[in-house]
Amino acid sequence: MTFHPWDADIRRRKFLELSLKGGAIIAAAPSVLSQFWACRTSPEAAGTAAVDPGLLEKAVAKALDKGGDFADVYVEHRVSRSILLEEGKYRSAVFGISQGVGVRVLAGDKTGFAYTDELAEVKILRAAEVASAIAQAPGASAPAVALKEERRPSYITVKVPLGDVADAKRLEVMMRAHQAALDYDKRITMASVDYYDEVRSRTIANSEGLLLRDELPLLFFIVQALGVGNGTSHMGRERLSRHAGFEMFDEVKPEDLARACARESIAMLEAKDAPAGKMDVVMQNGWGGVLVHEAVGHPLEADNIAKKIGAFTGKLGQKVASPVFTMVDDGSLPNFRGTTNFDDEGTPMKRNVLIREGVLEKYMTDILSARQIKAERTGNGRRESFRYIPIPRMTNTFIDTGKDKPDDILASTKSGIYVQSLSGGSVNPVTGMFNFTCREAYLVEDGKKTAPVKGATLIGNCLEVIRGIDAVGDDLDFGPGICGKGQAAEVTAGQPTVRIRGINVGGTRGR
Amino acid sequence: MDNKILADELIRTCLKKGADAAEIYLESGRQLSLEVRNGEVETVEEAATGGAGIRVFVQGKMAFAHSNDLSEVALENAAVRAIDFAKSMTSDPSNVLPDDKTSAEVEGLFDPEIAKIPLETKLGLAKAVEKEALKDPRVTKSAGARYGEGEEEVVIANSNGLLKTARSAACSYGVSVVAEKGEQKSSGGKSCSRRFFADLKKPGEIAAEASQKAVSMLDSKTVKTQRAAVIFHPDVAGALLGGIIGAIHGERVLQGASFLAKRLDQKIASDLVTIVDDGTMPKGLGSAPFDGEGVTTAKRVIIDKGVLKGFLYNTIVARRAGVQSTGNASRGGFRSLPGIGPHNFYLAAGASKPEDIVKATKVGLLLKEVTGYGINPVNGQFSGGAAGFWVENGKISFPVKGLTIAGTAEEILFGIDFVGSDLELERGTAAPTFRVKVLQIGGE
Repeated sequence: MTFHPWDADIRRRKFLELSLKGGAIIAAAPSVLSQFWACRTSPEAAGTAAVDPGLLEKAVAKALDKGGDFADVYVEHRVSRSILLEEGKYRSAVFGISQGVGVRVLAGDKTGFAYTDELAEVKILRAAEVASAIAQAPGASAPAVALKEERRPSYITVKVPLGDVADAKRLEVMMRAHQAALDYDKRITMASVDYYDEVRSRTIANSEGLLLRDELPLLFFIVQALGVGNGTSHMGRERLSRHAGFEMFDEVKPEDLARACARESIAMLEAKDAPAGKMDVVMQNGWGGVLVHEAVGHPLEADNIAKKIGAFTGKLGQKVASPVFTMVDDGSLPNFRGTTNFDDEGTPMKRNVLIREGVLEKYMTDILSARQIKAERTGNGRRESFRYIPIPRMTNTFIDTGKDKPDDILASTKSGIYVQSLSGGSVNPVTGMFNFTCREAYLVEDGKKTAPVKGATLIGNCLEVIRGIDAVGDDLDFGPGICGKGQAAEVTAGQPTVRIRGINVGGTRGR
Repeated sequence: MDNKILADELIRTCLKKGADAAEIYLESGRQLSLEVRNGEVETVEEAATGGAGIRVFVQGKMAFAHSNDLSEVALENAAVRAIDFAKSMTSDPSNVLPDDKTSAEVEGLFDPEIAKIPLETKLGLAKAVEKEALKDPRVTKSAGARYGEGEEEVVIANSNGLLKTARSAACSYGVSVVAEKGEQKSSGGKSCSRRFFADLKKPGEIAAEASQKAVSMLDSKTVKTQRAAVIFHPDVAGALLGGIIGAIHGERVLQGASFLAKRLDQKIASDLVTIVDDGTMPKGLGSAPFDGEGVTTAKRVIIDKGVLKGFLYNTIVARRAGVQSTGNASRGGFRSLPGIGPHNFYLAAGASKPEDIVKATKVGLLLKEVTGYGINPVNGQFSGGAAGFWVENGKISFPVKGLTIAGTAEEILFGIDFVGSDLELERGTAAPTFRVKVLQIGGE
């Protein structure tokens, strides 16, 4: 449901731009290990969001002036770099600086919000005043809040800070990936590499007296390769992203990523028409977890539960999935793309088991929805930037590891589809109807992976799909992505190899 | 400072600091967003915002910097960063800026009244549309009603002497509801976006469509896997047009990453298919006097009675392809380099009444919702989730959901055998009702 007046239909290209937005650029970022706000030495960090605690206290007080019962002030500074290498040319480079302050006020179930690009006291207090107007109980002025700065453990370690990396190093990893993709096969006619890094610094102050600051580096690297042959073409894609330093490229070789991408492009040139209708689906470990991210994760975000319209409303404590199915959201996995030290409302990150052996245990909350459904704060209050209010969002979401051997899962599947990777998908969180598009998929015949099939859509209902999962492998793995819910968020999705019985596959060939 | 003067000074700064050419894109605007649920205000968001995008060229090498800090120091720093960054890029003789001094005359892009209308009136609209939508007893819950508006002013200036400004505004509101019956849940939403506040549809009309969408899908069934006719409702125009837009993207065409790359001036669709891109339509949501780098917009026929007539280009990609810019440089705001995108993009109306298209269909699917990515612009493959109504003997028989439809762009484009007369330019991308003679439908 989008009502933004400027929001025309999302175009393919825009999707790519959006995907970069979620993930990208850098500049002399101080090490994230040093979480003191004073340590900004790089020129581009000069004049960063160093709003002093006294002003934050004033802004919080102003925000509550009309009778609000909770307020927070979110100060953000982001420096980003992105580079595009395409057809052997470094086409463009983008350097970005974004800063601002968002002030939010809660009054019962109501939210008032305003933001400013300018860090001047008068602008911040003006934003607080605009946001405060949501409450209509003047005179009920809250007691002054004394902010106390807190230190939190860091889940993000950096060996090579992005700020210490010369641009030439960035260009080099890009060209290595580009060359490796072209070298893979003559039928790869074009390759492109998108590089993005950023450092985002956050200051969060709220009327509970919390004051937190930190700095998060982020790297996002996307390789695409076009395979042409056999009268068709296929654009393969691989992504790599972490909250980490440049050592990411020592741990995962850009060449390996590029070759994986090129392999997909070539393999899919042989693709045949996919069958249509209900069949069993085996999903390979990794990014395929986006299926449960969409189908189950979104319906477990507590905003729609609080409105009593979500597909899982009223099902807490009930058996909703097969007993082999356990699903977790964990924003504290070291250096993962969906990890932060605390969410954008200051709640600590932790491992949240959402569904344990088929039983629904927990919804994912932000401060507002936690209050509305009288549940704990789970650390899922996230925002795209200071321009957005925080809402319940996933972090690193996955089907937990199981006991089956991946080979046995395939061997025991008589016929169906083997999905090696998915492009992405979406869900209606009310009805639970979801859809996914396969990037790379194969027919399963007599327990074996056989011919590749053209990009088919998988559709189903969230409650049915998690009851239909009857085998879970022991090979848990993850992939990075961008989640859109009116705002973009960096996430990972993961799963071991799993089998789902009876999913509707949208192929072109009747059976 | 006046934004025109600011842009001019910034260009001079870029040239002084080592750029051979420079472009400044300044944006300033205001936004308001309201949410109402169960008759109560739930969220009020307000902001005034803006920023600068600075594109520089150094010996044919291109880079860009953006900043929402408009202080002199910050902007100069951003310009210097961009110039330094450019030096690492690859030189390309196509990296040029436009010098087009003309702009299209486009009426009705800015409504000065929107800002003057009191907040209470806007809240009233959202409350009214929700209340009306909840009138049907089968509608059990509101998922919220919203009102949103935005105004912006853009200044584009470059070192070729181009300097243009444009103001625009838009507003929209709508509602989303849930219908329940036993364990069944069905959701439906409808919104209306306009350039002028006074042109917004009445709450009753929007509410009726939203609740009808939710209610009509209760007791839906599925059908057997089969090949049958598919009638595309105007709501699912994007399933066809999205893939076409991706495939006529000038850069993808040059790269061979488009199923239409080698089809210029060839027949690619049935005679009934005419597709237009128009940046000049009065009050159009996709209209603008000039594109994202200041090139004047126009009305262009992209597919003429089934024959592909052209692609979309910005200045640089056009130069690379040896053609002129088509005025299709798109910007996602001051933070983005110019990309390529359409303006008002639509399938032209045909002669058939929508009800006659249903009447002419012996067995088929009236498609009201498609999920997924639509047509893949690289290879033309199409597959999606589908919901709507089953048509038997020329009549709507029962609601269906949980189906899939699949085919190729070629099957769809050549298979179009009816185009409706019911084109409404409700969005930037639009189509009337049209029928594809036969597509694969996946069900039980």
